[in-house]
Amino acid sequence: MKKKRSLKLTKQKDGYSVIFNAMASPCEVLIQTQNKPLVIKIAEMVSKEVWRIEDKYSRYDSLSVCSQINTSGGKKTIIDEETYLLLNFAEQCYQLSDGLFDITSGVLRKTWSFDGAFDKKTGECKNFPSLIDVKNFLSFVGWTRVNYDQKSITLPQGMELDFGGIGKEYAVDRSILLAKNLTNDPVLVNLGGDLAVTGPRNDNKSWQVAIEHPDCDSLGQQQDMIVALNQGALATSGDARRYLIKDGVRYGHVLNAKTGWPINHAPRSITTVAPQCIQAGILATLALLQGKHAEDFLTEQDITFWARR
Amino acid sequence: MNNIKNKINVSKKYDIKDNMKNNKKCNIKAALSLATSALLGTTVIVGNVAHAQDADEWQFETAFLLYSEADRVTAGEGIIAGTKTFDNDEILNLKLTVDALTGASANGAVVQPKAQTFTRPSGNGQYVTTEGETPLDDTFHDTRVQLNAQWTQPLADNITGSVGAHLSKEYDYLSLGLNGNLAYDFNKKNSTISMGLSHFQDTFTPEGGIPKPFSSMLVGDSSSVDWDAEFAKTRIGDSENKSTTDMLVGFTQVINRRMITAFNYSYSIVDGYLTDPFKVISVLDTEGLAQDYIYENRPDSRVKQSAFMQTKYHFDDSLFNTVADVSYRYMWDDWGINSHTIDTRFTIPVGKKSYIEPHIRYYQQGAADFYKPYIINEEFVDEQPITGFVSSDYRIGEMSAITIGAKYGVVLNGGNELSFRIEYYRQMPTNAGFTDPSALNRLDVYPVVEAVIAQVSYSF
Repeated sequence: MKKKRSLKLTKQKDGYSVIFNAMASPCEVLIQTQNKPLVIKIAEMVSKEVWRIEDKYSRYDSLSVCSQINTSGGKKTIIDEETYLLLNFAEQCYQLSDGLFDITSGVLRKTWSFDGAFDKKTGECKNFPSLIDVKNFLSFVGWTRVNYDQKSITLPQGMELDFGGIGKEYAVDRSILLAKNLTNDPVLVNLGGDLAVTGPRNDNKSWQVAIEHPDCDSLGQQQDMIVALNQGALATSGDARRYLIKDGVRYGHVLNAKTGWPINHAPRSITTVAPQCIQAGILATLALLQGKHAEDFLTEQDITFWARR
Repeated sequence: MNNIKNKINVSKKYDIKDNMKNNKKCNIKAALSLATSALLGTTVIVGNVAHAQDADEWQFETAFLLYSEADRVTAGEGIIAGTKTFDNDEILNLKLTVDALTGASANGAVVQPKAQTFTRPSGNGQYVTTEGETPLDDTFHDTRVQLNAQWTQPLADNITGSVGAHLSKEYDYLSLGLNGNLAYDFNKKNSTISMGLSHFQDTFTPEGGIPKPFSSMLVGDSSSVDWDAEFAKTRIGDSENKSTTDMLVGFTQVINRRMITAFNYSYSIVDGYLTDPFKVISVLDTEGLAQDYIYENRPDSRVKQSAFMQTKYHFDDSLFNTVADVSYRYMWDDWGINSHTIDTRFTIPVGKKSYIEPHIRYYQQGAADFYKPYIINEEFVDEQPITGFVSSDYRIGEMSAITIGAKYGVVLNGGNELSFRIEYYRQMPTNAGFTDPSALNRLDVYPVVEAVIAQVSYSF
C-alpha cells in the first residue's frame, strides 16, 4: 500500500525546507535561497527522482524492476544501464567485504523480521528463527551464482536481490547531482538520516546536522549529537529501529551473508563521513560487518566516524 | 567468478582482484571511490574531501611530564586543556597546569678545593658543599598552578582574532597576563599574516626577602641572638615586581601541497626586578680561594628580539609519507646575549595508526655582558662596592645544549591519540674567556647538567 505522495514546503530563516515520504523514511531537502520558484523546481525534481528509484528498486513493490528480477523464476531478465551499474557496484562491495556484503541476502528477511515485535511480558522477540530456518534460507544466498552483463541478468530460482543496502544512499547522491545541475545555492538532501550536501552553506558556514542516538526509543528522551558538515555526505548504518532481543542479547539487522546470522559484537550504529553518500553508507555497513573490529577498520581507513555500542 | 569478471565493462579498466591482492586494507577507501565514480558517472574524488566534526563536544588534551636532572632538580607537570568549537567557528580553549619542583639548583658560587658553607635563602639554617663539588642549594620545592583561557573567533572574512588571559601562582610568585592576536589569511588561505601583543605583571615575594645587591651573604649561626637583625641588614625589601610586554609578527605560507613555511619576529621588553635573589657570586683572592659571597645584581630592564623560521615538508609514498620539520631561531638582547637554536623533527608513520618521531635540538648561547663565573677581589677598588651589574648564573653564561629524543604516538579507536616521549637534555656551559686562578685549575668550573624528560600525552 503506497503512502500518498506529497510535498510540503516550509519557509525557514534563510531558505526553504521540503518534506516528503519515500523509501519508508521521512525525507527532507534544505535549500538556502529566497527564490521560491527555484525551490519548487528542485523539490519536484528531487522527490521525483527519489520516488523513481524507489519504484524501480524496492523489493516491496511488486511492479519494480527488483521484483521483476526476483520473480523471474530463473529466467533471463532484460536490464538497463542504471541497473547494470548498480549490479557492478554491488559486485565490488561483495569483493571488498570478502563476501560479507551480498545483495542476494534479502531472502533471509523471510526468517528474520526485524520489526521489533516482542512479547509484552518478557520483552523478547516473538519470532526468533531457529538454526534450521536460517540454514534453509541460506541455501538461496550467494552473489557468485548471479549471472549478469550489460543487457540482462539471470537470477536462479528462489534467490532474491535486495537493493536496500545501497538504494537510499544512491538516491541521495543522485539528488545532489541533479540539484547541483540546477543551482549553485547550498542544498542538503536527507533521506531518513542518510544525507549529503552540495557544499557549505552561504558564507562558508557549515551545515549543523543532528545524529540520533540509538537509545532514544527506549529512554524516551532525545540524545542527539550535533555534527558540523561542510561538504560530502553522512550515512548511518545500525539498529536504532530494527533489532531483535532474545535472551537479553540485542541482535542488529545487519546480517552476515555467509552464516545468515546477525554479526556478533557489532556496534549498535555507525555514522560515517565520505565524499558521497553511497560511499559513506557502504563504509558504515562494511564496518558493522567487521563486528568487534568495526572501529579498528574505520580508523585504519582514516575515515571520520562515530560509533555507538 | 570468471564469467562475471569477463563480462564487466567498467569505464575505468582495472582488475579488482589484483587490487585486492596488493594492499587490500589500505585500498578499500580508494577502491570504493573508484566504484562510486563508475556508478554515478562523476570524477573520482580522492583525499579527505568530506569534512565533518563534532560541533558541540569538548576536545581534551592531557599530558604528564617528568623532568629530572642528574643530582639536581626534579619536576613533574600535569596539564589538562579543553577546546570547544561553537557555531560560527568560535573557539574556547581552557588549560590548567600544575607543576611541582624539588631538588637542588646551583647557587652561583664557584667550586672550591675546600668545603664551603652557605646560608639558605630564608636565612634559617646553613648548608655545606663538599670540596670539589659545585655548590647547590637544595631548599627548592614548590608547587605552581597555572590557568589559561583563550577565545578565538572570526572577525571578518579571512580575519581571525583571539584574546586570552593567564594566571600563574606559586608560593612566592604571582603572574597575571593578557594577550591579543589578529590573523589575516589571503591567497586563498595559503598565506597568513599575524600580529600579537601580550602583557604580564608579576610579583615576587621570595622567602627571606629581597637581598641588597653586592651585600655579603651572612654566614654563621642562624640560631644566635643577633642573627635576625644582622640578616635583616642584608635585605632591602619583601617583594618586587616586573612587567613584560611582548610583540610578535608572523607570516605563514603554504608553498605547495607538501610544504609549509613560517617566519616570525618578536620584540620583548621586561621592566622591573630581574635579579635572582637566590644567587650569589664568589669573591676569590688572586689564588682563587673564596673570601666572600655577594648577592648578584642584574639590570632592571631587558629588551629581547628574535627572528624565527620553520619549514615542514611532507614526503610522498616513495619516502614512506614521512614529515620533516626544521626550524631555526636567532635571539639577541641588550644584555649582550645572542643565541642560536636549531630544532629538527622527523615523523615516520608506522602502519596506519601510529608514528615514531625522532627529535634533535641544538642550542648555543653567548654570555651576558655582566656575566662572570666569579670575581677576583682585586677588582674591588679601595673597598668600594663594585657598581654595575654582575651575575654568575650559568644560564646567562656561555653554553651549548643538546636535546635528543623520540616520540611514539598511536591513534586509538574514535580518533583519540596517545603518545610517549623521552628525551635526553645536556647543557654544557663553557668558559667565556676568563682565566681561571690556580686554585681552580683541577676543578670543574663549568659542570655539565644532564636531564631526562619523559612525557605521556592523551587527547580525546
